[in-house]
Amino acid sequence: MAKLRLKITKGNEIRYVSHLDFAGTIERVVRRAGLPAAYSEGFNPHLKMAFASALAVGVTSEAEYLDLELTAAPDVAGIEARLKAQLPAGIELKAARYVHTPSPALMAVVNLATYDIMVPLMPAATLAAAMTSLSSFNSEVEILYIKESPKGRREIDITEFLAGPVTASLAADNQSLTVRLAIRITPSGSVKPAEVLAVLTGRYGLPADGGNALIHRTGLFVWDGRGQRSPLEL
Amino acid sequence: MHFLDPVSPAILSKVMKPARYTGYEWNSVVKDLKPAMVNFVLAMPDVYEVGMSNLGLKILYQILNQRADTFAERTYAPWVDLEAEMRNAGIRLYTLETKRPVAECDIIGFSLQYELSYSNVLNMLDLAGIPLLAAEREATQPLVACGGPCAFNAEPMTDFVDFFILGEAEEVISEVAAAIADWKLSGKLNGKAGILRQLAELQGVYVPGFYEAEYDAAGRWAGICTDIPEAKQTISKRVIPDLDQVMFATKPIVPFIEIVHDRIMLELFRGCTRGCRFCQAGVLYRPVRERNIETLLGYVQALIDNTGYNEISLVSLSSADYSCLSPLINRLTTRFKPQGVSVSLPSLRIDSFSIDLANQVQQVRKSGLTFAPEAGTQRLRDVINKGVTEADLIEAVSAAFRAGWSTIKLYFMIGLPTETDEDIAGIAALAQQVADLYKQIKGRRGAKVTVSVSSFVPKPHTAFQWFGQNSVEEIERKQRLLRSLIKDRSLSLSWHDARTSFLEGVFSRGDRRLGKVLLRAWQNGVKFDGWSDHFRYNIWMDAFAAENVDPAAYASRNRDIDEALPWEHLSSGVDKSFLVREWQAAQQGAFTPDCRHKECGACGVCRNLDVKVVDWGQA
Repeated sequence: MAKLRLKITKGNEIRYVSHLDFAGTIERVVRRAGLPAAYSEGFNPHLKMAFASALAVGVTSEAEYLDLELTAAPDVAGIEARLKAQLPAGIELKAARYVHTPSPALMAVVNLATYDIMVPLMPAATLAAAMTSLSSFNSEVEILYIKESPKGRREIDITEFLAGPVTASLAADNQSLTVRLAIRITPSGSVKPAEVLAVLTGRYGLPADGGNALIHRTGLFVWDGRGQRSPLEL
Repeated sequence: MHFLDPVSPAILSKVMKPARYTGYEWNSVVKDLKPAMVNFVLAMPDVYEVGMSNLGLKILYQILNQRADTFAERTYAPWVDLEAEMRNAGIRLYTLETKRPVAECDIIGFSLQYELSYSNVLNMLDLAGIPLLAAEREATQPLVACGGPCAFNAEPMTDFVDFFILGEAEEVISEVAAAIADWKLSGKLNGKAGILRQLAELQGVYVPGFYEAEYDAAGRWAGICTDIPEAKQTISKRVIPDLDQVMFATKPIVPFIEIVHDRIMLELFRGCTRGCRFCQAGVLYRPVRERNIETLLGYVQALIDNTGYNEISLVSLSSADYSCLSPLINRLTTRFKPQGVSVSLPSLRIDSFSIDLANQVQQVRKSGLTFAPEAGTQRLRDVINKGVTEADLIEAVSAAFRAGWSTIKLYFMIGLPTETDEDIAGIAALAQQVADLYKQIKGRRGAKVTVSVSSFVPKPHTAFQWFGQNSVEEIERKQRLLRSLIKDRSLSLSWHDARTSFLEGVFSRGDRRLGKVLLRAWQNGVKFDGWSDHFRYNIWMDAFAAENVDPAAYASRNRDIDEALPWEHLSSGVDKSFLVREWQAAQQGAFTPDCRHKECGACGVCRNLDVKVVDWGQA
């Protein structure tokens, strides 16, 4: 048994594919590539595959990580070539390497996600107005928010999940903002970047068209209180 | 290549299953469209998950895209949420591959699988910004074609469609594409009439605009006439004599989202000669032609390599009738099981041989089994030529219970010719017998028997095409009767909306005069009629009344044997005299054997179309 860790992207072409369907897509890629994948027992065998963190529908990413169990350990260069030949539009393979077994599951160690949100400014809105709303948001010690999910309603404090201040700059097109944020992923849950944006526009007057925001995950990290490492550096 | 979505992120974030609309799937084809190329849009008037599951469209996509002169793209009916957003924002229906407006293509071909999808064809044309009426479309606008089983009664759709393709399209689709390519090269010589006259010469192509319909003094259909030399009096279906010689969908598009048949579809054979008298597919796809086992195994290897699917579904009208099924399943499991690939059989014949097969393919998990006695008494099963007895069913179900199954589905129809309340009671009795059988064999309760009852709709080109369909009230009465007779807790009953079946019955045997009813009903908001939450019966009935068309005259009237029928110029290759004989045999409950294994029933298809049964078990 060997554990292969992959870093892949989820691009604009497949932005609207759900996490479950994204996983199914990877599963078919692995089968087409003919990797010596390990399967679960039982009638309906599944690849033994585990992602670091699910990505919401509509969100792209340049750094998704997953572990794949193999029954053998062929050289990485060959595996990369076989996978790349089978990747559909919107998925790129950025890196692959074997990790020691046993090692903790990605989901258990990855605890920080960074995002860029590209969001159109409202007509006649100024960058100054956007900055004012951000600084009032960033100076709050508590921001209560009701999370609605199929499991019910839960009140959270957004500030608990923000790893630093939310920043913004004018995007290259001069009509959109690039909003940057770092979100903690904790055992008791997290907050979605779309939820943070909704609070920014809805309660703090950020003059942006949240409905047309494009959210992009720029990284997933393991934060140990002193510094952050990518899952490939563990 | 990257194509900009016509629909904004704000809209896509709002609608259900947005990945239905964004394309880029594995094996989807993108070509650099040259002006001389034929841009062919393949469409299904239903949602993505249904359209993407259609084997015919998969095959045609592959055949058309193999041609250098053609680029085939796809489009499906957007669900009502996206449609509302598109209309609101003025976004026209677009293709999934290049996101271009469908209105800019050369030809859009719809697959008509069921009558209740007709309103969606109109809706999609309108959403594309294409005039609905064929007569109003210019040579600069797309040609509109239809194929699929419903093309065998084209008349209700003739106002909207330029031409129909009858039968199997593997060969004729290429002939159509080549003709359109030449026509474009010629600068569209003689306009739209020019290309339609060329197409009308092809076997299997029906150009309804070249014909006038005639009616007798009583207002009944009397036939069609034409003075266009290329337009034939009878249009015969296309049939592929040797299925090993045509392209199969070995490189199908692999969707990102789950579709209805999200697995490898392996078509073992076409046709079915069991001769159930209600079954239209059994006539339209005659004769039986099997693929060779070696051909099939080659397909499977290519399909696994090209898709990464790990499930193979054996699809045919009745897969258990494949003459080499046992060796095929053996070889499939031996060869592909180590690769984690499983085999499934979607339909089963009612005998213990089928149970052995089911055991062979489902060695671990016992998912449900489905049996279709179709009628509750032996008398009525003889009328429909089902060819199975109660003993067959009991034997098969016993074998299944002993082998570990506990979930059984039973399919029945109500409203069949000659049916009485005794036959309805027979359904309840048979279902009860199956439930009791479990207790006898297992010594405890615990069977789950689902009785699924659909309402019989007489179809053109069948032995029952003359039969007046039961009225909505009569079907509902029979449904109530059946509900009152099913008491046992281990039996659950499901049935279809009788009003839906009535509308299906009107259109399945309708004529040209239904076009204006369909148009009016669509204008008043009908769409997705096959989806029960969207079916608007009252709008339909109002449209019939407003257009002064009596729907019952199409659905409920017993037709005379010698009366002209609106689909008789569209030939399945089966002689009318055969259908008449079968209709008479039905009245007497006489059995007509399967021509594959017994004597030829003289249906005429082999002689008329110069084809023959291909059965590798007897080769």
